[in-house]
Amino acid sequence: MTRDDSEIGSATIRRLGNAGLYAAYAVAVVFALFPIAAVLMLSMKQASEVFNWPPSFFPETLSLQTYIYVLTETTIGRMLWNSIFLTLASTAGCILISAPAAYAFSRMRFRAQKPLLLTLLVYQMISSMVIALPLYRYYEALGLLDSHMGVILIYITVEIPFTVWLLKGFFDAIPPSLDEAARIDGASRIQSFRIIILPLAKPGLAAALIFNVIAGWSQFIIPFILLQRAELLPISIGVLNFAPGQTEGEITIPYLAAASIIAMLPALVMFVILQRFIVQALTGGAVKG
Amino acid sequence: MAQVSIANVSKTFGAATVIPGVTLDIADGEFVILVGPSGCGKSTLLRMIAGLETISGGDVLIGGRVVNRLQPKDRDIAMVFQNYALYPHMTVAENMGFSLRLAGESKARIAESVTRAAGILGLLELLDRHPGQLSGGQRQRVAMGRAIVRNPQVFLFDEPLSNLDAKLRVQMRTEIKELHQKLKTTTIYVTHDQIEAMTMADKIVVMRAGQVEQAGPPLELYDRPANVFVASFIGSPSMNLVPGQIGDAGFMTDAGHLLPLGPHSATATGRRLLYGIRPEHFVLADDGFVAEVAVVEPTGSESYVLARIGSIELTCVFRERVTLRAGDALRIRPRLDSVHLFDEASGRRINDDAV
Repeated sequence: MTRDDSEIGSATIRRLGNAGLYAAYAVAVVFALFPIAAVLMLSMKQASEVFNWPPSFFPETLSLQTYIYVLTETTIGRMLWNSIFLTLASTAGCILISAPAAYAFSRMRFRAQKPLLLTLLVYQMISSMVIALPLYRYYEALGLLDSHMGVILIYITVEIPFTVWLLKGFFDAIPPSLDEAARIDGASRIQSFRIIILPLAKPGLAAALIFNVIAGWSQFIIPFILLQRAELLPISIGVLNFAPGQTEGEITIPYLAAASIIAMLPALVMFVILQRFIVQALTGGAVKG
Repeated sequence: MAQVSIANVSKTFGAATVIPGVTLDIADGEFVILVGPSGCGKSTLLRMIAGLETISGGDVLIGGRVVNRLQPKDRDIAMVFQNYALYPHMTVAENMGFSLRLAGESKARIAESVTRAAGILGLLELLDRHPGQLSGGQRQRVAMGRAIVRNPQVFLFDEPLSNLDAKLRVQMRTEIKELHQKLKTTTIYVTHDQIEAMTMADKIVVMRAGQVEQAGPPLELYDRPANVFVASFIGSPSMNLVPGQIGDAGFMTDAGHLLPLGPHSATATGRRLLYGIRPEHFVLADDGFVAEVAVVEPTGSESYVLARIGSIELTCVFRERVTLRAGDALRIRPRLDSVHLFDEASGRRINDDAV
């Protein structure tokens, strides 16, 4: 009899515990998603509804009119393309530089190794805001202002430290005896890197890809400082300067909201596609077999 | 197939000298095993022969040519690693054929070599599998297959059986030995397991702290160990060692017990010695000395008995069943021709010293 009670009791406690846990999850999810949901709702409202008091969360009618306008009548296409170009170019450049660097840090022993790794770590901690103004002056002198190439170079520079550390971690998980076996089989360092290490570090490369894409897509301060011409602006800046019409005083908030949602989508899609690799990377499944 | 010469090879890591100097000659087709405790330098020496570690001093010669400065792939060697080091993302066939693929051989030649090696090792059905789908023993065979495909002058094994369970280890030992008999390739094999050394080697090299303690055929090391270290390392359970001195009637232990002794040289008297006798060299005899049984461990085919005379503990191994129990009295006698005497200070075996 006593045993049944304690069993039932513990089951109830477990259920209460679970309920509490889910409640906490719900609160966290609401906090995280509420701003995005609010923007989504805003994007579907009429101009007249925006400043309603008391504020209404849901729009009176669900309309995609703002989205259609934004997509067809504005330069958002250009801005999306700029973002994609800047992101992909910087991601490719960063990984092309970081992967061999991480391989060297992982596989080679040299005296400067520890100091260099620590230096990378320190560089990573420097926020873009700190370097923004001096950067402007240097770029002015170099003639790199207002160019995509200049912006891509900075993107690559700020993303290298984290990418090198990330990839080094994944390379470290691959046993050095594989390199040695490849060496005995006759592989040069480059062949060993290309044929053995890189395929085995796929989750790491995917993680680096994701990080670089999201970092590149969300860059704000650097393009804000360095780019002036409207046709060069990525969407993170473009959304700010958004002006859907010539008329003064027009309430543009719903259009701004729609543009924001559109700006988010590519990164979201990228994330969903590579999600499988993210989970693998986070759970440490770095080496098969 | 080739002879390997290690001429006064030394290794330093920065300020630390790990191997002061090793000289060793390995005949063509010989199966040599480097054995010793962890950290004795055997793996380092193997890796220097392979070309995975630089050589600080001395020369390594393979087939008569000095290979010190050559890359591993140019030394005509193949290596089998402790953790197999198979490429996880390639099939068994691709693993085995990798060296030929890098050398630019035709697909037909690669397939032919891989099939031949796979046939020797019983891997023909596994060629399309990935290493992750294989058992430990199968993986080790694939690693050996990869080495065979290279058709090298020397096989190098770095503790290949250490990751396998005991039963599999025994089976693989025989397979490796059979492989060597078939291929007759010069083989240098590193292990910390003295049983592997005793059962597989043509020549055993016992190493400690970067130096060769003794090198020779297994039975020579068993019957005539050069010093206390080799005597205790080879043979399991270890040799019994009792300190004392030679008196008029025999060997007098420090505790005052008399142990029987055969003929010995005069140089053995008058100094502190260690009396060495292997557990398997005791016989139950009515005219032997009395000891008390402390522990009996029957293994089915043998009986391990821990016997005590006063404060001295002697491990005995009898090939017959014994009906002894703890506390019983035991009469044992050592085989006099199997008693070893070691100088206590230097550890050197003095039995063969001239009178």
